[in-house]
Amino acid sequence: MNSLTTKQKILEASIRLFNWNDVANVRLQQIADETGISVGNLAYHFKNKEAIVNAVYENLFEEFSLILSAYLLSPKLSDFDVQMEQYHRFFAKYKFYLIDLFEIERSYPHIMRRWQDSVSKMMMQIRKRLDYYLQRGMLLPEPAPGVYDSLANTIWMTIVFWVPQQVLKEKPIEEVYFKQSVWSHIRPYFTPKGLDEFTHDVHPITQF
Amino acid sequence: MKRVFTMSTDLYSRMLDGLSNLFFTEKLGVDADMNFYRNDFWLSDSAVIESLQLRKGAWEINLLFAHHKTPLKFLSRRITSHSCPKRARTMAFYMRRQAAKDQRGTLTLDLNDLNLTLN
Repeated sequence: MNSLTTKQKILEASIRLFNWNDVANVRLQQIADETGISVGNLAYHFKNKEAIVNAVYENLFEEFSLILSAYLLSPKLSDFDVQMEQYHRFFAKYKFYLIDLFEIERSYPHIMRRWQDSVSKMMMQIRKRLDYYLQRGMLLPEPAPGVYDSLANTIWMTIVFWVPQQVLKEKPIEEVYFKQSVWSHIRPYFTPKGLDEFTHDVHPITQF
Repeated sequence: MKRVFTMSTDLYSRMLDGLSNLFFTEKLGVDADMNFYRNDFWLSDSAVIESLQLRKGAWEINLLFAHHKTPLKFLSRRITSHSCPKRARTMAFYMRRQAAKDQRGTLTLDLNDLNLTLN
């Protein structure tokens, strides 16, 4: 039990260091110092840095799968709002993923493949969600072919890149601003029915 | 490294469609959905006979319900089964008496009500 806790502590410390310095620049000594254990003890739990990186990404994918599994748990618009909340928490926790994208591609191709797989699922979910809201009469009919494909892509980009661009601008990465950014893409396409549900269910939470 | 479960893009897309459709296909029931239950009420106004059949080594008790005014409206229901024929007969007798509206068995069917053609 104690071993598990130490492992978890190591992973948490690694995520913090990866966020500050990116994966390539973090050494085992730093991880051990951040965890408050010796390098020998660290080596007992993870034989090398690659094992730590793999474990961190394993956790990352597990958390991401949990978010993906929260697709349409309820038919309301607020369902997307709840999923957005989870996306925000995820991307704020794993800020290093973007900075390290090219490093990961080069050094850990199997991780990159899983990333691409997860990301394509996320993209597909957003697109299907738009179809679903359209079917429910919450969204206006597509003004021209491909508009909702572009909208899905824009929403996806906002969800994935919102946190890094805020960090770049040295702006707060609070959840409410994140949600506002995503909803602002969808809002112009709401029907009166959609707008009504949005105003009643989502608006009070996102405080537009 | 533990093997990761994967799903093809096409299959995942169809699964999402299925999840979306759930909200359109699974709707709240309406009052008429329970008609099958209410329609059983005619059974309480029926003549009942028991039938015993040997099936898979056990005596199966079936009750035959026929409406006393429109005998073509009838229904057979399997009630239970028993390994001993004597006990099965006794059980069937009491089952019939419990099920029939008229427990003494005086409620009978008129053959003419069946409107049989003999040609």
